Amino acid sequence: MAFIKIENLFKKFGTMVAVNHIDLEVIQGEILTLLGPSGCGKTTTLRCIAGLERPDEGDVLIDGKPMFSKGFVPPSQREIGMVFQNYAVWPHLRVFDNVAYGLKLQRLPKEEIKRRVNEVLESVGLSGLGKRYPGQLSGGQQQRVALARALVRNPKVLLLDEPLSNLDAKLRERMRFEIKSLVRRMNMTSVYVTHDQAEAMVISDRIAVMESGNIVQVGAPEEIYKKPANRFVADFIGTTNFIPGEIAEIRENQIYVTTEFGQKILCKVFDSATAVPDQKVHVSIRPEDIEVYAEPSGSRDNVFKGTIMHRAYLGNFLNFFVNVDHTMIRVQVPYHLRQKEGEELYLYLNPEKCIALP
Amino acid sequence: MSRGNLLISAILWSVVALFVIYPLSFLMIESFKIAGTDRYGLQNYIDFFKDPYYLKTFGNTLLLGVLVLATTTLVGLPLAYILARYRLKGKVLFTALILLPIVLPAYAGAFALIVLFGKMGTINLLLMDWGLISKPINFVFGLHGLVFIQALHLLPFIVLSISAGFTNIDPSLEEAAEVEGASGWKRFLTVTLPLTSPNYLAGAVIVFLWPFTDWLTPLIFGQQDYLPSIAYINIAYHFTDMHRKYMGIVSVVISSLICVGIFLASKTWVEKKKYTALSKGTTLEGRIIETGLFTKVWAYAYMLFIAVFVLLIPIVLGLSAFSRRWVLQPFPSYWTLDNFRLIFLETPILLKNSFVFSAVALLFGVTFGLPAAYLITRTKVPGKDTLDFVITLMLAFPGIAVGVSYLLAFWEGIPLATHWIIMPLSLFIRRLPYFLRMAHASYLQLDVSLEEASEVSGAGKFKTFINISLPLLLKGVFVGLVMFFIMAFQEISTAIFLYRGGWETLPIGIYLNWHRGMEFGIAGAMAFLMIVIIFVLLLIVARIGGGILGAAWGSSGGKY
Repeated sequence: MAFIKIENLFKKFGTMVAVNHIDLEVIQGEILTLLGPSGCGKTTTLRCIAGLERPDEGDVLIDGKPMFSKGFVPPSQREIGMVFQNYAVWPHLRVFDNVAYGLKLQRLPKEEIKRRVNEVLESVGLSGLGKRYPGQLSGGQQQRVALARALVRNPKVLLLDEPLSNLDAKLRERMRFEIKSLVRRMNMTSVYVTHDQAEAMVISDRIAVMESGNIVQVGAPEEIYKKPANRFVADFIGTTNFIPGEIAEIRENQIYVTTEFGQKILCKVFDSATAVPDQKVHVSIRPEDIEVYAEPSGSRDNVFKGTIMHRAYLGNFLNFFVNVDHTMIRVQVPYHLRQKEGEELYLYLNPEKCIALP
Repeated sequence: MSRGNLLISAILWSVVALFVIYPLSFLMIESFKIAGTDRYGLQNYIDFFKDPYYLKTFGNTLLLGVLVLATTTLVGLPLAYILARYRLKGKVLFTALILLPIVLPAYAGAFALIVLFGKMGTINLLLMDWGLISKPINFVFGLHGLVFIQALHLLPFIVLSISAGFTNIDPSLEEAAEVEGASGWKRFLTVTLPLTSPNYLAGAVIVFLWPFTDWLTPLIFGQQDYLPSIAYINIAYHFTDMHRKYMGIVSVVISSLICVGIFLASKTWVEKKKYTALSKGTTLEGRIIETGLFTKVWAYAYMLFIAVFVLLIPIVLGLSAFSRRWVLQPFPSYWTLDNFRLIFLETPILLKNSFVFSAVALLFGVTFGLPAAYLITRTKVPGKDTLDFVITLMLAFPGIAVGVSYLLAFWEGIPLATHWIIMPLSLFIRRLPYFLRMAHASYLQLDVSLEEASEVSGAGKFKTFINISLPLLLKGVFVGLVMFFIMAFQEISTAIFLYRGGWETLPIGIYLNWHRGMEFGIAGAMAFLMIVIIFVLLLIVARIGGGILGAAWGSSGGKY
């Protein structure tokens, strides 16, 4: 059941359209991520849900209640929790008072406030630090204070605006799992904004990929990775090779694409409804989906000969940059392969993994 | 450690030792001297605190400080909020207007107010003409007048510092409060206001301490029961009466100790509470609110209300400058250029002195300030932090303390006070921190790698300074120069103790013409001329530095 419903949301700043008539539903209890490069409108969308921004058109419904069309509901009345990119932990209040702020406004009894704040501080791993000022905490700890503050009131909706972007790489990775398990445990409907696709993959039940104010694809992380809707998504999520070409032949569930140099690639993934012959497309295949062989094995489709131009050692695997008929293809292979730069080899592009994108 | 840096440090330290530490210590020691003997003791201080008159004076000064601070805060808080948060057309112009009193001498404003609100001033005369009152109302003579004029003069310090505070708050801190359920006033009181407190304090200290340094305004309003005023009267008029002289010196020392003490305490507190350093990603202009029509009208009305008071000062002075015998009539009726003929043709020495003294002081300032800024920002010479500290401390010392200490220290022994050089010298020492602060700020903005690149390319330290640092610092340095000049040009509280016949400056001329009475036209014309000169200088700063006062005073709101 849709707990948050975004309907036809439109917002512009001056002449710049930030959010261009988008529709989106967030299901009760799920973590949905708005993912996209900076300036794609993801933060503006989040701020409209929070009420920190007012859309020019459209509406946001939380738990069935319209937030804009039937009179503006201010952020303070929306029962939301929000974690800001720069933590926004109040420097003049102790950790305890930061977290207790919202509860005090609700005029709860002192005992209850104390109990709930201590509970949530414990769950984010800050027990015993309530008396400290934020200035005496590390960045990671301040982040936890922000999280505790957002969770303590048991809000209907949890909004997270790039909450990890100011942390260092190691801590960021750990916090992903912590946030996810915490939010899961509290079964809170969450909207998470990030530009980091790996973060989105780990944390989300579903991802909405945004590009210049539009939502281009919504789906589970695996679906988005395996079946990107267009070149932008394929490029933005993970690493991929694009091989330009034209559709040569369309069959029931596969197509042949002719590259500029006359080679034919068999693709099994494509949108059969829109594909037409001679249409210009890009074949997308991820580096880890390409197999390499020293010899051409039999007469399979999608086997191409190429020369290794660069060899990059990345510890747990190797990257080969292979020149196939003047197209550079990146391949991820096991680290023990011995081939050197300048040597020739054969690439097998598994048709199940080849995606033809308009 | 390079020997060049040590040499610079040694020279700067000797200047500070001779012209700051020596005279001020002299003043301190003198205050313990038992009159008529060679012995030292606490007698003067005991006398001071036993005498109900001086205790009352002390209390008056304290009360004035509190009242001025309260008034500027009440009036300034909404104004700062409007200027920092509302999106309004013409805000830059209003800002410049409202902040104008910062660069105007306080005594100029006092004169203007007397003409307008005095017992036989324009307002009283008009009210009587219209038959609304039968006897003139006492608008300004007394505590209320002092509070009024000092609040008007000091309002910019409060407005600048609070609005800098509002602007510096990371918008998300307030948004977080909003999301947490605090709206409107609640958010303002629990988050916005506390976060502004370090900035507010920076401005509040300047305002609160002002009555401990300003001796002239109370005298203009016919009051002398304030610490600096009675100190001036005792020292300047009763120097033969040993008791009064020493009470004067004690008053100066007590004022100075209060100023320095509170200044240091607030500085420590502010540094401990630097909230802005904590949050990242602050936007440049902070949180800006789009206002409804109702709020907008109120905001404009409020800004206009204050701008009118500020503008009254130059307008009134202008009217009296071009008129004669503006007495017992609401508006002048006899127009003349005679006042200016007097200033330019009969006593051009005043103008000349003002320019020469300020220019020489400026020269001293640059010669001292640039190396000092370099030493403090770019080297690790031992003792440089102490040097910075001592120079900064000069911000807190009342001008009257510098004047009196110079008079005492440079009379016998080192008889500098018999040469005119004492005038620019004292101006330079009084405004020591101003130029340094600005050179310092520009130095901090100059990326050290630009200089390192020059040294790597083969230029020595001095060549690097001339070829790379100086051209890049020029803008900041120039703004500093002009602001220094403006401050030196209007200086009176130090100079009044040191001038002798033939060394009178424009501000001293204003004071003397007012003091002798009946020459108000000339005093007004001089003050008007001074405002014009300052205004022209400010235009130059604005042209070069962009944003008149923002550039000159930085965002920290005033003298810090």
